[in-house]
Amino acid sequence: MKGTIPLLRLGSTIVATIHTELRDKVAQDFQDDMLTELELRGANALVIDISGLETVDTYVARVLAETGRMAKLMGARTVLVGMRPEIAATLVRMGYAMDGIQTALNLEEGLTLLRRRRREMP
Amino acid sequence: MDHRRYMKVLKLDDAEIASRRAFFELTDADLSRLAALRPFAEKYTDAIVDRFYDLLLSHVETKRFFPDEATVRRVKKLQRDYFLGLFAGKCDAAYVEDRLRVGTAHERIGLSPRWYLGAYRKYMQLIAEHLLDNLKDDAMVRQAFESVQKIVYFDASIAIDTYIAAKMDALERHQAAIRELSTPVIRVHDRILLLPLIGAIDSHRADQIMDSVLLKVSEAQARCIIIDIAGVPIVDTKVADNLVKTTAAVRLLGAEVILTGITAQVARTIIQLGVDISTMHTLSRLSEGIELALTFVDKAIRRQPRRRSGQRAGASSPKTGGKPA
Amino acid sequence: MSTTVLERYDMRIDTEDDIILVRRKVRDIAQSCRFDVFAASAVTTAASELARNVWTHAGRGVARIEKVTDDMRMGVRADFEDQGPGIADVTRALAGGYSTANSMGLGLSGSRRLVDEFSIESTPGRGTRVTFVKWAPF
Repeated sequence: MKGTIPLLRLGSTIVATIHTELRDKVAQDFQDDMLTELELRGANALVIDISGLETVDTYVARVLAETGRMAKLMGARTVLVGMRPEIAATLVRMGYAMDGIQTALNLEEGLTLLRRRRREMP
Repeated sequence: MDHRRYMKVLKLDDAEIASRRAFFELTDADLSRLAALRPFAEKYTDAIVDRFYDLLLSHVETKRFFPDEATVRRVKKLQRDYFLGLFAGKCDAAYVEDRLRVGTAHERIGLSPRWYLGAYRKYMQLIAEHLLDNLKDDAMVRQAFESVQKIVYFDASIAIDTYIAAKMDALERHQAAIRELSTPVIRVHDRILLLPLIGAIDSHRADQIMDSVLLKVSEAQARCIIIDIAGVPIVDTKVADNLVKTTAAVRLLGAEVILTGITAQVARTIIQLGVDISTMHTLSRLSEGIELALTFVDKAIRRQPRRRSGQRAGASSPKTGGKPA
Repeated sequence: MSTTVLERYDMRIDTEDDIILVRRKVRDIAQSCRFDVFAASAVTTAASELARNVWTHAGRGVARIEKVTDDMRMGVRADFEDQGPGIADVTRALAGGYSTANSMGLGLSGSRRLVDEFSIESTPGRGTRVTFVKWAPF
């Protein structure tokens, strides 16, 4: 694993916890690591825990959305969990709509959501 | 607030103390001079403190702080210590902390700055009189008085800071209480919150509501919050926009908003204003909102035949033939 | 009402890490002004957006972060200046007119909504200067 963001495997789900500031190199390594894991393990879901992020500006939001799109290309669903209330408020006040990425309150909810979605899939 | 917290809040660290001393021109030379005046101070402490209290006790507004003899004796002793402290020859963090403690105690009993300033003035008058009587050299008197003045003003600045910090603190606590009262979020179920909005909502309150809702949803890890607006007299564009924003933000957290209490008039207003609330869950009755919320948490209220005692409502049971979720 | 500067920090924006330093400084001042967590998040995010704009579009620039007061309340003032390519149509940029999320527009218009006072001067080929103030909420 190249980057500093640890990836944990829970069955067919990868859980990533972002606890550091996102910079280009960190983000890129994270995406590379995540894609590698998805490929090697045949995982089909990604949970990104951002409860450690104090600030989410449009750059961070873009990285997260991109990551979701990359995972989708590899057949995996992504759920973002643990967003802090003040971050949700700031994003909405900015007018930034985080489209295309699912969110859940916490890891447990995220996993439940993914399980339900899997059952719904043909 | 206790005095240690004041120290932090007022950021009275070494750098700040040095900066304040510099501005008050309170130098080490002044402090040495004050230390050298200590014997003089000790000699006249009692006389000065007694006359000081004569003023306080002769004035109706300050007299009430000293209701009886025992109190007067007690504070005179404290005052003597305080007075002598001016001549300690130090002005470091320990000195400031000590002065803060005194300021805190005064603020707590409700002594306002104007009494302080009047009191300090009296102090300086009394000190000046004794200096003039006792030091022969005019230059020395002037220097001594200048040093005393500097440290007294320094002390006064700390006392005033304390007072202001205490008022700001009280103000913040009141505001927090008002915010709480104006946004009373109730937990009606394990994962369901209810916010009955009552009263007019201006843009400031609207912002506070959004913040409060987000905090509460996060804290409770609620799946959904029902916002009831039946008690809001006027729903204009600002209010409607804010509800839309709040819903978007709650969704970002991974939860849901259900809006209830929409009257015919409000429905008409919102459509006419052109605010798009099509993606929101809206209902007219609170009860419908609760039912909808329960489906979100997978616990619908199902009609049961008469329950045996001990059975939870909504629990399916093979014996009564209730349908599973 | 006149504005008094209580603290001033001049910072360079030369590397991506500098963006994070600017953000931290703004957050620290916001907290010392007793901003609640929502206001602190708003002003920190606005600063982050603008600092990143400087780095992305001009490569380098400066930020001046100040703790200010107007005698009634305290606030954070931030000024971002670069000699980058500038913005041809400021009005359009502020309206969020640029479509892609990674260009200057979204960060700019978004930041403006997060603060109380906002001003921008930009000349194509010469550079850009953005200033904002956010006051501690009552």
